[in-house]
Amino acid sequence: MNYPLWDVPMIGGGWVIGITAIFHLLISQFAVGGGLYLALAEQKALREGRRDWLEVIRLHSRFFLILTAVFGTVSGVGIWFAIGLANPEGTSALIHNFVFAWAIEWVFFLVELATVAVYYYTWGRISDRLHLQVGWLYAVASFFTLFIINGILSFKLTPGSEWLAVAGSGQEASRFWEAMFNPGFWPSLFLRMGICSSLAGVWALATCSRISNDKPKLKEEFIQWTAKWLLPLFMTMPFLLAWYVHQIPEAQRVLFTLGVNTVAPGVFTMVTRMVVIILVSSITIMGVVYFIALRSPSDFKIPQAVVIVFLALTLVGSLEYTREMLRKPFIIAEHLYSNGVRTKAIERVNKDGYLKDTLWIRGGSKTSVARGEAMYRGQCMSCHTVDGYRPTRTLLAGRDRAAIGSFLKVLHEHKPDSPYYRFMPPLVGTDDEVQALGDYLETLVPKTENSFK
Amino acid sequence: MSGTKETVTRRDFLRIILTGVGACYAAAIGYPLWRYLISPAEQAKSLAAVKEVTLKDAHTLAAGSVLMFKFGSHPAMLIHHKDGSWVALDAVCTHLGCTVQYQPDRNVIHCNCHGGEYDAQTGKNISGPPPRPLRPYVVKVIEGGVLVSRV
Amino acid sequence: MKSKIDALWKWLDERLDLSQIIAFAQHKTVPQHKYSFWYYWGGISLFLFLVQALTGVLLLIYYRPGPEAFDSVRQITYEINFGWLIRSLHAWAANLMVASIFVHMFSVYFMKAYRAPREFGWWSGMLLLMISTVFGFSGYLLPMNELSYFATKVGLEIPTSMPIIGPLIGDIVRAGPEVSEYTLQRFFALHVVVLPALFVPILVFHLWLVQRNGMALPPSEEARPVQERKTIPFFPNFFMKDLAVWLITLNVLALLAVCFPWDLGVQADALKPAPLGIHPEWYFMSAFQILKVFGNLLPGDLGEAMGVGIFTLGIILWMLIPLYDPDSRSGERARHATYFGLLVLAGVIVLTIWGYAAL
Repeated sequence: MNYPLWDVPMIGGGWVIGITAIFHLLISQFAVGGGLYLALAEQKALREGRRDWLEVIRLHSRFFLILTAVFGTVSGVGIWFAIGLANPEGTSALIHNFVFAWAIEWVFFLVELATVAVYYYTWGRISDRLHLQVGWLYAVASFFTLFIINGILSFKLTPGSEWLAVAGSGQEASRFWEAMFNPGFWPSLFLRMGICSSLAGVWALATCSRISNDKPKLKEEFIQWTAKWLLPLFMTMPFLLAWYVHQIPEAQRVLFTLGVNTVAPGVFTMVTRMVVIILVSSITIMGVVYFIALRSPSDFKIPQAVVIVFLALTLVGSLEYTREMLRKPFIIAEHLYSNGVRTKAIERVNKDGYLKDTLWIRGGSKTSVARGEAMYRGQCMSCHTVDGYRPTRTLLAGRDRAAIGSFLKVLHEHKPDSPYYRFMPPLVGTDDEVQALGDYLETLVPKTENSFK
Repeated sequence: MSGTKETVTRRDFLRIILTGVGACYAAAIGYPLWRYLISPAEQAKSLAAVKEVTLKDAHTLAAGSVLMFKFGSHPAMLIHHKDGSWVALDAVCTHLGCTVQYQPDRNVIHCNCHGGEYDAQTGKNISGPPPRPLRPYVVKVIEGGVLVSRV
Repeated sequence: MKSKIDALWKWLDERLDLSQIIAFAQHKTVPQHKYSFWYYWGGISLFLFLVQALTGVLLLIYYRPGPEAFDSVRQITYEINFGWLIRSLHAWAANLMVASIFVHMFSVYFMKAYRAPREFGWWSGMLLLMISTVFGFSGYLLPMNELSYFATKVGLEIPTSMPIIGPLIGDIVRAGPEVSEYTLQRFFALHVVVLPALFVPILVFHLWLVQRNGMALPPSEEARPVQERKTIPFFPNFFMKDLAVWLITLNVLALLAVCFPWDLGVQADALKPAPLGIHPEWYFMSAFQILKVFGNLLPGDLGEAMGVGIFTLGIILWMLIPLYDPDSRSGERARHATYFGLLVLAGVIVLTIWGYAAL
């Protein structure tokens, strides 16, 4: 409420973060797993004296350098840009807590960037042994960037009781280590390491598919070696996922089942649906890798590689989307709601008013509709748009002012048995402000008869 | 490195992986299928699990007000009407399954999700999208509470 | 354990000649060339048909034709576990199946795979496509929501307005002057009994022809000397790739069904005015547009009859193409056939886009 609102029509600010983040993850997780892949592949090539393998690895490392050091880093900065604009409250809360972690991550990140450049530009210029050591240094540095960022990401879902006890007191940073190594840290780290290594395999397949057909034997060997890298990793994924799901708070785990028997609008069914995509896509990747890459590697060409990369994108996208959705209605569980309202501030805001802190009200605060619009922008637009993603207009269709009023009452009371309790933040503000929001929402509802039945 | 033994174990390993993949796929397709088929049985079971519920001290409920309770795992509502009659109804909208609300001022039951309305005495659907009435329960005021049971 | 499996295999083989089938599959080869990609589309269509059969049977478990039709679909979508998924899969796979049959048909056409001895493959394939569109048309009515009701009403107006046979079709297919519960009931019978009973034998015949005649080579490959042509064994190489393609198809299907689940819509009400933008499914759009164009050009029944006539003539010509361009010589007739194919393809695309633009 202290910040101006970034109004992104149709998709909403959340999806700007989402798209940037999914793109970034597809590359940055490759950067982490790929370090391991490069080091292990080079080690194997050196041990077996395969100079022709080294040439392939060199080519792969060029692709790797360009993709991670250019697109990975730029999209990483893009995430900062997007979260700062779309969710300033959440970003601020995280920075206040984790400034030290991010500083350390920055150090590892610099080591990562330096070593990957050295790694690529010193092929054949320094001794094999030293070159391999640079590769391992890269792998370790990139692992630690993941290690740290994983603490921050898992914190949002499971901040842990020690940190929550001091949340909002101004002393949050005193529980830094508890927040960092929160209850979800280890399952999340292992799951992410699994995903990172799999992605390394996926991207390596993309490079392999481009090995010239003049060397069929080399190409086959490399594709098969990569397929054997990928398949066992995928097999461990269900177990890692099970561990991860097991540590999710009971209240959030219910979200998995909301979409089993319905796709009704207004019921939160996306998590169940995403799980279907995650399952089907991982199995398809395994199938395509097995049937083509492993069993007939000579047929593994660029189109097949494109399919695999696209499927991996789908998979990473739905995994991240699910992880975000599971945290609903919070940004930091039990502390900060997704629209920037703090749990501990609810009582005060209900008494003193939400708009008291709102500096930007279109057309001043004179009319009820104008104040309602400010309420809408502040409290609803972090997740909803008027006409696009989760469209307010469609979701409210067919309701009159009284129906809107009683709907807002349910949101305002936010009782544990409310159907929205699990995925929507409470509506905060004085009764007057809730009325104003209702007046504004009424202007959005289409005025046709039988628009919904 | 490439002895026969190694090849055999690798082949076995791959076979295990393939079997695992196949099992995962069978489970991924089989689970929704199984849930789809047992759906009515599941519903019947959850309905049959509880025959009656005693609501302690509910007999003191003021006339013109409502008490939400769980019949088994099912949300339900007990209404004490102004004319002194007692009514217990399912609180799950027959349209898309939202929890409905009693509105004492208008004496109707209202669903917030899509604006469906039911008669507060009989549970009959009177306006909006609900296709069926709310299921009623039998209410008996007993000493120290109210006994709600299946029809 | 292994000896028991071997014994079982032997027992089965003695009675069913399974080893012959395996030997056949092992000897069968699939040509490899730059157009090989198009060989997969028949398999994709087949896979989608299998999905349709499975999800169709599953829907049949809860669907109730008659006055409760809409309510039973509502139940499937909003109450039964994963009912929404099964229904969305069925609806999406139906559209994808028609689309992939179209791709398969045009690729067969341009690779000239209809030439001798494969004429019956072409004809049976055309029949399968036609039955598939009738599958789509009859299935569309079954939920009895507003869109399906009015789309069926508008769709049936075309054949029933034909002279002489029109009223007959109205009585037989629509069962009266209006789309009613009787129409629904016979569409249901058509969709789940009559059409599958027609489709499956023709499909078996179609697949048997593919085994008998083998994969056709496009003219550019046929021009090469035999020793330069590349082939791969059907089993396991092509089979593996086919399985991978099926998995990808299933994945695309699941993505569509999950991200864009099929809407329930509003219960059909014959007394209400038709909602705006009622239009046939996309695969009927080009035919619909031809009728509209001729209807506007010429007054009354004459225009409509002309439209129907031209469209029917087009289909007949399209079916007769193997007789016109029968053998592998790449003479003038072969070129004409290719031009005709391009014309039809462009016509279908333009008319479909035009149809949507004119809504």
